[in-house]
Amino acid sequence: MKTLIKTIAIGLSAFALSSSSLMAEDYPSRPIGVAVSYGAGGATDFQARIVTMVAGNKDILGQPIYIINKPGAGGRVGWNWFASEADKDGYTLSAYNIPHFIAQSIKGGVSYSADSFEPIANWGEDPAVVVVGKDSKFNSMEDLIKFAKENAGKVTTSGAGLFVGHHIAALQIEKACSCKLAYIPTKGGGAAAMKAVIAGDVMAGINNLSDAYRAEKAGNIKILGVADLKRNKEFLPDVPTLKEAGLDVDNSSVNYRGLMVPKGTPQAVIDKLAAQVPLMFKHKRVASKMSAGGSPMNIMTREEVQKMWAAREATLKELLKGL
Amino acid sequence: MEFLNHFGGVFEPISFMLLLVGTIGGLILGATPGLSPTMAVALLIPFTFQLAPTQGLILLGAAYTSTVAGGAVSAILLKIPGAPANIATSLDGFEMAKKGEGARALHLSFLSSGVGGIIGVLLLIFLTPLLAKWALAFGPSHLFWLAILGVTVIGSLDSKSFVKGLLSGCIGLWLSMIGYDDIQGAQRFIFSSSLTGGINIIPALIGLFAIPQVLDMFAKGRRNAEIETVQVPKQSIMDSARELGRSGRALSIGTIVGSIIGLIPGVGGQIAGLVAYDQSRKFSKHKKKFGTGHSEGVIAAESANNAMVGPSLVPLLTLSIPGSPTAAVLLGGLLIHGIFPGTDLFDNHPKVAWTFINSMLVGQVLMVIFGIYTATWAARIARAPQPIMAAAVMVLALFGSYSVQQSMSDVYIMLTLGVGMFFLEKFGFSAAPLVLGLILGPIAEANFIQGALISNAQNGPLEYFLTGPLNIFLVVLVIASVGYSFWTNMLEQKETTLEAGAKS
Amino acid sequence: MTASRIQHLIPAIIVLAVAAIVTWLSFTQQPAQAFLFPRLISVAFIILAFWNFSRAALGQSKVGGGVSAESFINLMPGLVVMSIYAFFAAKWLGFYCASFAAFLTIYSIYDPVPLSSMKDWGKRVFITAVFMAVIYGLFSLLLKVQTPRGLFF
Repeated sequence: MKTLIKTIAIGLSAFALSSSSLMAEDYPSRPIGVAVSYGAGGATDFQARIVTMVAGNKDILGQPIYIINKPGAGGRVGWNWFASEADKDGYTLSAYNIPHFIAQSIKGGVSYSADSFEPIANWGEDPAVVVVGKDSKFNSMEDLIKFAKENAGKVTTSGAGLFVGHHIAALQIEKACSCKLAYIPTKGGGAAAMKAVIAGDVMAGINNLSDAYRAEKAGNIKILGVADLKRNKEFLPDVPTLKEAGLDVDNSSVNYRGLMVPKGTPQAVIDKLAAQVPLMFKHKRVASKMSAGGSPMNIMTREEVQKMWAAREATLKELLKGL
Repeated sequence: MEFLNHFGGVFEPISFMLLLVGTIGGLILGATPGLSPTMAVALLIPFTFQLAPTQGLILLGAAYTSTVAGGAVSAILLKIPGAPANIATSLDGFEMAKKGEGARALHLSFLSSGVGGIIGVLLLIFLTPLLAKWALAFGPSHLFWLAILGVTVIGSLDSKSFVKGLLSGCIGLWLSMIGYDDIQGAQRFIFSSSLTGGINIIPALIGLFAIPQVLDMFAKGRRNAEIETVQVPKQSIMDSARELGRSGRALSIGTIVGSIIGLIPGVGGQIAGLVAYDQSRKFSKHKKKFGTGHSEGVIAAESANNAMVGPSLVPLLTLSIPGSPTAAVLLGGLLIHGIFPGTDLFDNHPKVAWTFINSMLVGQVLMVIFGIYTATWAARIARAPQPIMAAAVMVLALFGSYSVQQSMSDVYIMLTLGVGMFFLEKFGFSAAPLVLGLILGPIAEANFIQGALISNAQNGPLEYFLTGPLNIFLVVLVIASVGYSFWTNMLEQKETTLEAGAKS
Repeated sequence: MTASRIQHLIPAIIVLAVAAIVTWLSFTQQPAQAFLFPRLISVAFIILAFWNFSRAALGQSKVGGGVSAESFINLMPGLVVMSIYAFFAAKWLGFYCASFAAFLTIYSIYDPVPLSSMKDWGKRVFITAVFMAVIYGLFSLLLKVQTPRGLFF
């Protein structure tokens, strides 16, 4: 009997030695996890599952990527965990949402900032759009703004939460028209905010382009404007930008999604990921599934993302000053 | 009747194979502690990348229906509810299993799941346009009242002590507020760094239900360990079917409550089972037997949580609004194939839509067959010697709560809540109302805040929350429910004092 | 005052204390808007807790048998093993290794057969190994859950 126990003990320890403490050159030697700070079925979760589906290919990473959902408080729960508890060995990645996490860190009360993370690459950009129900009396941004100016604080406008892209867009619109909206943050992300618009709980809403495009095709809503620098040619060529509608709103609220690792991850691992991950995003199967789902892509390398983060942080600090 | 034309699609060889894989896989995943139907379906999404849209959806549809039913297996045998939907199942189901009637409980749970599930899907097929309007009728004020209505059930859910039932509910509501608040992002009641993420419902369920059970087994000590193994006569499937026929009241209450509540976006699935359980107890002739291993409790809870599956997809399929997290995951399954739910789905891809719906119908039947087939075998688990059972549930609880978000905090929370609940239970508090508070707290709060914000932009909160037929109807229900609990509580107290008086 | 009455007082006091802390925090913490709902709940909480406390103090709290000294002594070893396992060993030793040890320990502590029998030790180790194999298959192979590896595995 004792020999049996001994054999098991030896077997276990041998197994432990072989599986732990592997060097960066073998990276990755086991599946990689990606933490998504939103619930299963949300836009970020859905896109993260698509863009990582070819990770197991030999010419990409050679190991599959699996998704861990850590939803709560507009993403704060997931990113807090990622900044403070995640292993810094390259086997735990996280999806980022810009401007969400930078805006939250400027607002305070969280244990992360843009410096807590190292970007790897960007896969998508999803501009915020202004939507109203299909039977709404508003047919253009001008109608909406005119009403808002005459009735300060009466235009109930739903969005996915406070200090997320939708809220930033609402703040920018208020600043540009010098009028007041009643921004209603919903729990349960963009889907809940969209439901509030369709059901007529609110007069207008700010939502993701991808979700709004779908809802418009289903005949439930009208899209009045895009909060971006140029029109979206692929999905909404006929919808004007807010700038065209006379509002000085730039692309600060555009929701960029990509992958990052915690600061302190070995440089060799970061370099390997930064080289391989864009290839994964560019894979033709990824592109076809993303476009089928109505999700706009914008692949950016690590250097480009670093610049984008820095630029966003500066504009957001300016915008959120005094709030 | 268009769905009949597409029935052939389900029985094509590959599709039928996938249907089988989805059903059996769903039962296993559903029975795994810590894996909710939402996560199970999300795990299957990558497999559908390779499949044609119809086939992918068959897999997902079958898996959805059978994971919900599969959750009953661990709820009955181990007292680990797989998802909030199965809480009510474990209340009587586990007591039945303890008495050695595990097989009977499983038979009844699968049969009533099947009946409820099929009726739910038929509602989806025939009444979708009507139901879609109903689903949209619920704005923030109505959802707030609905959550409050759910909270009032707390008082009557715990038959032992009225005060302690309500108090347990309050503890649950407080626990639900720990962590970052969802709208403002402010930190609330974070006493330890493990709590920053708040209390996740699945680990909490495992802790509150499974751990006190393990500790109870410990408390019996070594000597008594094998006394409780009881021999019971074998339960044939026909017996179970006859019993189900006799419990028509519980079955119909479960099915009706499940389908109505399942439809309401964001609330339905989680509380359908508990509300149906509570209602069927109120209307039952054997009120006192509930909670002691009474079959009506299992029947009501399981018919309700599967009846909700069909209606919960109505908002998704007609309006492209995912009404539940699982529906949101299914939406992803459609989108990767470029199919948008809504009018596009039924007009341009009728084959996909109807095959999907039919697969859930056929999936229910397969689920009942497989479930019953394995029930007798699975029920043996409950007869394992106590020390093995205690050790196994302990390890499963740890793995189950860890795997939800791969987080150690969830494990710590699970065990702390479980140990606390063990001692509270010894003094007449109970886990079911506490969990109901934990589930309903965030729903009530979010809708309260949203309603308040919207009403500020309109004519003030009083008008917003208290006018309109649906608001008034719900408020009347809340008052009636509280009144009923108070009244029966007074009656019972009178009875006990009379009895005590008679004895002395 | 009976033992059961004293026993019922302990949880009543703890719950009352928790309710008091929750109420105090709800009304003092900032931002006020985030604590609007907690205030609402905490008022109900403290009223109920006080009601429960007075019932316990008056000896009207009769539901629930409390914990007997014998059960408590029986319970302790299991509770200690479980706490070490979940709070410490699982992360330090690795999930599978710690689970194997914890399962075997609990099984051995509460197994009615005497611990001196070598044959029964073999049976226990065997059952533990089979159970852990099932867990490994389910969580690691099928569901691809990455558990903490710790010192061993």
